[in-house]
Amino acid sequence: MASVLGISGLYHDAAAALVIDGTIIAAMQQERFSRVKHDRALPKDAALSCLRFAGIAPEALDAVIYYEQPFQKLERVLVSTLRGFPQSFRQFPRAMRAQLADKLWVLDAISETLNVPRRRVRAVGHHESHAASAFFPSPYERAAVLTLDGVGEDTTTALWFGNGNTLTPIASTAWPQSLGLFYAAMTAWSGFEVLEGECKLMGLAAFGQPIHREELGRVLLLHETGEFELTLSFFDRFTDTELGFGKRLEQLLGERRDPLIPWDLTTPRDQHYANVAATVQCITEEAVLGLARRASRETGACNLCLAGGIALNAVANARLAKESGFDRIFVQPAAGDAGGALGAAILGSIALGDRRPSAMTSAALGLTASASDTVDLCKHLGLSARRVSDPAESAASLLSENKVVGFVQGRFEFGPRALGHRSIIASPETIAIRDRINSVVKQREPFRPFAPAILADSCSQYFDTEPSDMTAFMTTVASVHASVPTPIDAVLHCDGTARIQTVTADAASGLEAVLRARVRRGEAPILLNTSLNGRNEPIVGSAIDAILFFLAHRVDALIVEDVLVERQT
Amino acid sequence: MAFHPLLAQLHARSIARRPKAAARALARFAKAERGSMLTLIWAATHVDSPERRATYLEQAYEEQRHGRMFSKRAAELNGYASSEPSVNTDAEDLFIALGEIRMLAFLYRGEHRAVVEFSGYRDAFRKAGDAKTAALFAEIVEEERHHQEYPLELIQSLTNDPRAVTRASRYVAAWEAWRTMRRLGQFMAGLLYTGGMTCLYALLLPLSLWVRWVRPEVRGLVLAREWSRNDRSQERG
Repeated sequence: MASVLGISGLYHDAAAALVIDGTIIAAMQQERFSRVKHDRALPKDAALSCLRFAGIAPEALDAVIYYEQPFQKLERVLVSTLRGFPQSFRQFPRAMRAQLADKLWVLDAISETLNVPRRRVRAVGHHESHAASAFFPSPYERAAVLTLDGVGEDTTTALWFGNGNTLTPIASTAWPQSLGLFYAAMTAWSGFEVLEGECKLMGLAAFGQPIHREELGRVLLLHETGEFELTLSFFDRFTDTELGFGKRLEQLLGERRDPLIPWDLTTPRDQHYANVAATVQCITEEAVLGLARRASRETGACNLCLAGGIALNAVANARLAKESGFDRIFVQPAAGDAGGALGAAILGSIALGDRRPSAMTSAALGLTASASDTVDLCKHLGLSARRVSDPAESAASLLSENKVVGFVQGRFEFGPRALGHRSIIASPETIAIRDRINSVVKQREPFRPFAPAILADSCSQYFDTEPSDMTAFMTTVASVHASVPTPIDAVLHCDGTARIQTVTADAASGLEAVLRARVRRGEAPILLNTSLNGRNEPIVGSAIDAILFFLAHRVDALIVEDVLVERQT
Repeated sequence: MAFHPLLAQLHARSIARRPKAAARALARFAKAERGSMLTLIWAATHVDSPERRATYLEQAYEEQRHGRMFSKRAAELNGYASSEPSVNTDAEDLFIALGEIRMLAFLYRGEHRAVVEFSGYRDAFRKAGDAKTAALFAEIVEEERHHQEYPLELIQSLTNDPRAVTRASRYVAAWEAWRTMRRLGQFMAGLLYTGGMTCLYALLLPLSLWVRWVRPEVRGLVLAREWSRNDRSQERG
């Protein structure tokens, strides 16, 4: 019977998660409080919010677990920069400063910040945290676990076997052999920001043909054993840690794309980048597939759990589901570094004798937005707000009029996806609505699709898949039937796929109610669902954030719990 | 925006006819506006009064809008019509650092500086014939004037003390001077550190040779000992 707080931070996507008596109570990212996207700071606000939500004081915590071993990380950074002598001369002072300034002392900093005795603050391994965040909240008793990211302490890729309350390491790959490094470098080469642009590269891939296999096959070698090997001379990990790729890669594929030029896929220039993106996607899928098959051979398990930044590649996950041989696959919605906080908390909880958590059915692990705060704020800002008896019916009515609605219900989500708690929703029928959302809010590149949310029991009417452990969290894609009951052009990618979310009352009761209301009105059980944030902004958390969003972006209406805020024309 | 007004005017004149330099300056302003926006959002989160919360939120929205306007114009001056690059900034939670009254005094001082400096930029761009950038500054200056006025009124109403504004302003002026000193100190320490570490790095040549020998890079998957010993046979079986 223990209360354990997990912490991830100081790199990107800092987060905190609270597990009490083996139950996941709360998990939140710092960016939702600081309003700094991918905030790296020690997540004090997120941690204290988790504790406030549970109604416990920091002193009552039995353990606080950090998601990475600071001294092992320092060792890897030292060894890595020394191996790169003398090219690493510029990186060395920066890397040492980053380690010695705060990362090495992070356990003391956590103790001081949260006022928890230092002896209760411990650390676990980065990939172990990832693996725990994927396996223990999964619905499986036994599973192979695959963790893939840029780098943890020294590990970039790891296979695990999860069985009940235990996780056993099988094999791992060490830095700098990293799929994360490869994907990040290709993201940067394509003119996107690392951490922000990976899903853009995935979206762009559908517009190209994988015709650069020969070139990229020299960059990332795939072996029959499931292993992969980067040709490191194409990467510049010592002198340019922001971009990651080297001059040789530019000689191979051409110059990096200028990030500021607007995209135009009708030009040969941008079509070239699309073709490279398609090849990168294809090779990444094959690398992940090789590792998954290896995990299957090693463990004999029927189920697979995935975590780490690469696990957010929904297209690769769909291919895994089809070709890896596993019966079921689970990707925890906060598969990136934020999820490490959850894994650390669960590991701490199990170490103190608690059972593993029950299967995760909803990502809504944050705080609620206050309806009364919304009313008060609207009153003082001169916005038109009123309480409605049935928010779902009001939302459905607005959607029928082709309105774009900000939708805030219940606790905010953990992870990068808005799953109906902090969403922009709209009717999915026409391209025009997608273009409108792009022009007034998202300002996305033209190749980036929006996602559909559909009632789980109607999924097979539109898509060639049944609801699965991944569709609930929008971590996979599915092909759309050639003939569907109603048009869904706004959520259809150019390759005929969509990153679907199947909605149940357990996972997102507010969104489910809207979909049911649409059905009652004789409309399709599907809608466009995208995150409630503008370009380069974190997803909305509180009522204050929601109102600021409404002021800044011309959506037609905002629903916060039972408060309807409408724009006056 | 921490320039002396005279320096700001000189700077404005020097960049007004050079689009790339102007774009860089506007990008810096976008960053500063975004910092102000975060400060005000945090203030809105901390304060209990719905009225003041709304006031801070409204200004946060305007600062956000200013940031976007600067970013957009910077992109245009760089020759890109529609790009709006992401802007990251360092911001401080002044509500926590200073308290609400002094934060308001800080806002007043910051907005006052912005009005003076942006007016200089407006005039410089107007003289240089860049009507679009001049109009952008003119619009922002008008809104900053309002931002400059309300903090003083709010301090008066919160304290009921006619001397509170003066006291808070003096404190904030001293705090800003101390912050500038600290930043200068950090900058100097950073230079010393980088120099020292670079020297240390040069001395690490023998160690680097040893590391390459004893810790070579490993490729492929390395099986864990725990797995080889215990689990593999059981699972296979």
